This record gives sequence, structure tokens and C-alpha cells, in this order.
Amino acid sequence: MSTPPTTAPLVESEEPTQLQKVARYLINHPHVVLIGVLIVLILVTGAIESNYLSFSGLRNSALFAVPIGVLAAGQTILMLTGGIDLSAAMIATGAAYVAANQSPKGAAIAIVAGLLVGIIAGAANGIGVGVFRVHPIIMTLAMSGILLGLFTSWAQTIFSGSTRMGDFIRTLGGGSIFGRTLPWAVIVWAFLSLLIIYMLRRSGFGRTLYALGDNPVASRLSGLRSWRVLVAVYTLAGLLGAIAGLLLGGRVGAVDLQLANNFLLPSVAAAVIGGTSIFGGVGTYTGTILGALILGVLQSMLTFLGAGQAIQQMLYGSIVIGLSWLYTRIAAAQ
Amino acid sequence: MTASIQETLVSDSQAPWRRWARRHGWTFGVWILLLVLIAYYATLIPRFGAFQVASIVNNGTPLVFLAVGQAIIVIAGGIDLGVGGMLVLSSVTAARLMEGQPLLVALLIAVGILLAAAAINAVVAWIINVSKVPDIVITLGSLYFFQGLALAILPNPAGGANEWFRWLFTGSKTGIGSNPWPAIVMITITVTAIGWWLGKTKRGLSLYAVGSDKTAAYLSGLNAARVKILSYAIGGAFAALAGLANTAIAGRGNANTVGGNLTLNSVAAIVLGGVALTGGIGSVIAVIPAGLILFFLSPILTAMGVDPNSAQVVQGVLIVLVMAVTGIIEWRRRLRS
Repeated sequence: MSTPPTTAPLVESEEPTQLQKVARYLINHPHVVLIGVLIVLILVTGAIESNYLSFSGLRNSALFAVPIGVLAAGQTILMLTGGIDLSAAMIATGAAYVAANQSPKGAAIAIVAGLLVGIIAGAANGIGVGVFRVHPIIMTLAMSGILLGLFTSWAQTIFSGSTRMGDFIRTLGGGSIFGRTLPWAVIVWAFLSLLIIYMLRRSGFGRTLYALGDNPVASRLSGLRSWRVLVAVYTLAGLLGAIAGLLLGGRVGAVDLQLANNFLLPSVAAAVIGGTSIFGGVGTYTGTILGALILGVLQSMLTFLGAGQAIQQMLYGSIVIGLSWLYTRIAAAQ
Repeated sequence: MTASIQETLVSDSQAPWRRWARRHGWTFGVWILLLVLIAYYATLIPRFGAFQVASIVNNGTPLVFLAVGQAIIVIAGGIDLGVGGMLVLSSVTAARLMEGQPLLVALLIAVGILLAAAAINAVVAWIINVSKVPDIVITLGSLYFFQGLALAILPNPAGGANEWFRWLFTGSKTGIGSNPWPAIVMITITVTAIGWWLGKTKRGLSLYAVGSDKTAAYLSGLNAARVKILSYAIGGAFAALAGLANTAIAGRGNANTVGGNLTLNSVAAIVLGGVALTGGIGSVIAVIPAGLILFFLSPILTAMGVDPNSAQVVQGVLIVLVMAVTGIIEWRRRLRS
């Protein structure tokens, strides 16, 4: 590819100043910056509303971060392969809807049915992207429309029954152990996080995702069957979306077809904040977790400030644009 | 639809009608499909007259404009997920500003909104150029930004529009009537003008050049960055025009309209209209019937006794199928070479 002449080359001076050394350190250790941002945000929020700096205040932020974090886990593993899932919110909604509908039949059936929604929709995404080479954005955007149409139609027919979540899922999404201290949802998220971090760092499958995203041609030439990896990773992302939907539905208690709508962009934003590159091959789930926590705190802050949905959407949109720009520049500088 | 330059060169030596079929076959086919669907629809419902035609054309207008905007951007090698947000933003701004204004003021407001939309989308394209982040990511951000801004401008469905302004898009001062002509004239003038510009002028052809091969276009002296900005500005103005049509039809603005779904419809329409998502190929004239067909799906399904919500499913499946087929053709071609 040619470089358009409009961009000035990055000028580097011979003698790095103290400031440049600090900048270099921070560029090489983005998680330090993220933790710093998180702490500053918590303190600022505490300054706005002094009650926030308490266990229950921080707990609320963490609870808000859970569905974002779980959805963003799916976005992270997909973005590593150069993909994205714009159907994640609809998968989560669909899974929660089916689980609520099947709740009268017992918790086990409800959960399995909900997770199946994610697995089926995710696998369909994977087949579209991996086998038929449809662009991930188009494939998942179309899947989102398909799911919305199907569920709007099914809500009046085959799933016309209960929209109330069963007690077990409600406990999982909104309940806590040790009285009202440690929420189950946070425990589930922590457990999933360990699995995903282990998978990305240690397992062959995890390393395959990095390889595929970093250089698809080289991975193919070294014997990787990319379509299998893509089908597997989209299915896994669908499953994670379904889990996020169950947790969210459990917290809200009753489900409707707008349940997870507002979580799609935050899930992409969390991965982008965490330093996962949309081009693929670069990113960690640890960064995404920090991104989700930052958004959780931001949500508390915006609530205290009385900022509505309008400001939030503009803010998330700006965060995605601004940070993807910043990270692309940092990657170019490296 | 995915005719490469090589094939186009070969086709020049073929019989004129084959060349015509190759060049305009898809456009022709989509128009025929629209007419067949309308004829089929006429047999499904008891009364088919001017009212039904007006209803299809008028209510399909926003999607046609939106899809034409998307087509221009995609032809130049981009893709704008933000067009749906731009439609909502333009629609609520118009509804808020136009309420109770005379026609002249309303028209001035409309021109102002179109220019502002072009300028805003030009900035989006500029950000894509400078940041080198893929179009899809930046415009995903702009989609939500526009949607949020729309919500800030008009938190609840409200506002209004001048009755003659409504007539301009719907042929009726109340938005419901049996007169499809103003909408037909509106679509014909704007889309033919932009189609002529794209296909016959040097500046317009530069969009095709950059869209089909950015590097080659750059090496032959085109400023690819400027062409992208131009395509986004025009596309944004068309999205805003779709928003104005939307306000004229509904008589008010609703910021809760989901822009993402509208974007999806615009992408579906251009895919059906034969515009290649890889850029450089396609005609805006074919996008008109494609947009109308996509809007038309839900009344047809209702008339057939099928849940109209299935229209969304059909649209989604249609996009995936077309993309899958073209994807496989492209992949096999690459394997062979």
C-alpha cells in the first residue's frame, strides 16, 4: 500500500528527554495507563458524589461492568482474528428471552436453551465469515437483523409465554453471597476471565487466534485451517454473548427485546480501550477487563451527573473513534 | 456484477447487445424484479390503485435516498455505518426547527441541514484519512455519536414540519394520500443528477477509480484522500435528505429510531442493487428499485399472510446470501490466479 503524502513523517529527536522516556514507558506498558485512568475516574466520581467511595458504590460499578466485560470477551477474541460481532447484543437479548421463556421448565433447561441460542447464532456467524468469507461486520450486522426479526415474530408465537427470569438465573445475575457483599455475577465473570486469559496465553487455540489475526496468509501457509478456527471462535463469542445475556436478564428480572441493546457499543469500546486492535493480532483480555471496569465507573459518574442516554452514546462513540485513532498512532510509532 | 476490468475490455469486442447486457443487466433485472413484485402484490390485495402505489413510493423514499448515499460512499471504496444515525439526526433536527415555520424558512432549514450533514460527514472521512483506522470502526463510532446527538436534540418524539414541505416528499399535506408524483420527481431528479455526475464527469469517475484501486488511482495522479472526503460528504447529504423525507412522512421526529437497523437496510439495498462492497463497481440507478423492493417486502409479506417481521429476516438472509456467493466467486478467482 502506498502512503498518502498528506501525513508528515514522525520526527524523532536524537536525545530523548525525560518526558519522552516516560512517554515511551507508558506506550510500552498500556495497562499501567489504564489502571491510572481507572483510579482517577474513581476519585473524580467520588468527588462528584461522596457516597460513591464506599463498598456499595464500587459494587454497583462492578455490577454494571459485568455484562460489558463478558460481551467484550467475545469482541476481544474476535478482534484478535480481525473480526467483530455486531450481533452480540442481539444474541444476548435472544438468549435471555429464550431462557426466561423456558424458566418454568426449570433452571437447567432454561440455561441450556439460552446458551444454545448463542451457540447456534455464533456458529452461523462463523460459517458465514469462515466458510463463505462474508465480511464480519456485514455478517454480524445481518445476523443482528435476522435475530431481531425472528424474535419479534417468535415473541408472539412460540415464545409467547413467560418473560420473567427463573429464580436461579435471577440469583446468578443479581444475587450475592455472604449477605449483600460479593455478587454472583462478578464471581462468574472472574471465573470466565481466568479461563479466557488462560486460553489466550497458554492454549494452542488461543495462540492460533493471534497468528490468524496477525497474518492470515502466513497462518494459512503454515498449515492452519482458518475456517475451522473462525467457526470455533465465532461460536465461542456467541456463547459468551449468551452468558452475558443470562447475567443481564437475571439482574433485570424480566426480559424484553431491547434488553442488551445499549451494551453493544460499550462492549466494542471496552475492547478498544483495553488496547485490542481492530486489525487483529494485538490485544489481551486483561486490557479489556480494565476497559470494562473503566466504562462501569464512567456509567456511575454519568448517572451521578444526571447525563442521559444521549450523552452516553455520544461519549461512547467518541471513545471508540478517539482511542482507535490513538492506538493506531502508537502502533505506527512502534 | 463483479466484472473485472479485463472482462470489460473483452466485452468491448463482443456484440453490442451483449455488452449492454453485461453493463446494465443487473440494473435492468432489479427494475424488472420490482415491477414483478408490484404486479404480484396487486393480485394479492383486493384493491390496488394510486393509493397503494403512493404508499410504496412515498414510504420507500427515505430508504432509497439512504441507499444512494451509501452506494456513493461504497463505490469510492468506503463504507459508512453512520448513515442511519445521520438520517435520524437530520430528521429530528428538521422536525425541531421546522415546527410552525412557513415554507420558505422550512426550505432554507432543509438546505442548511443538507450542507451541515455534508460537512459533518466530510470531517468523518477526514478522520478516517488521517487516523488510518478502517472506515467501519470510525463510522461505527459516528453512528452512535449521531444517534446520541439526535437524542439530545429531541429527547421525545416531537416537532413538526410545514405542510407544503410534507407535500414536497409525499404529495399530501398530511403525509397520507394517493399522489406518488412529488416523491417520484424528487427521486428521479436527485438520483439521475448524481448518477450522471458519477458516470459522466471527471470528478465523478474519480470515485470509481479510487474505489476500484486506490493505489493505481493515486499513481495516476488522483488525490485519493480528497476523493474519499468528497464521497462521504455527498453520501452524508443523501442520508440527510433521507432524514428530511422521513420527517415529511411522519410529520415529526423520533430520535428513538434505531439508526443501526437503517444502516443495515441501506447496505442490503446496495448489495441487491449490484454495488460491490469492495468498491469501484455499481450504479446508483439500480439502487432505486433495490431500495423500494426492500421497503416493499413487509407489505408483501403482510398481504401473503406472513408475519411482516419476517421481512427483516428475509433482508438479512438476502445480504448474507449475496455476499456469500460473491465472496466464493472472488475466492475461487484468487485461487486460480
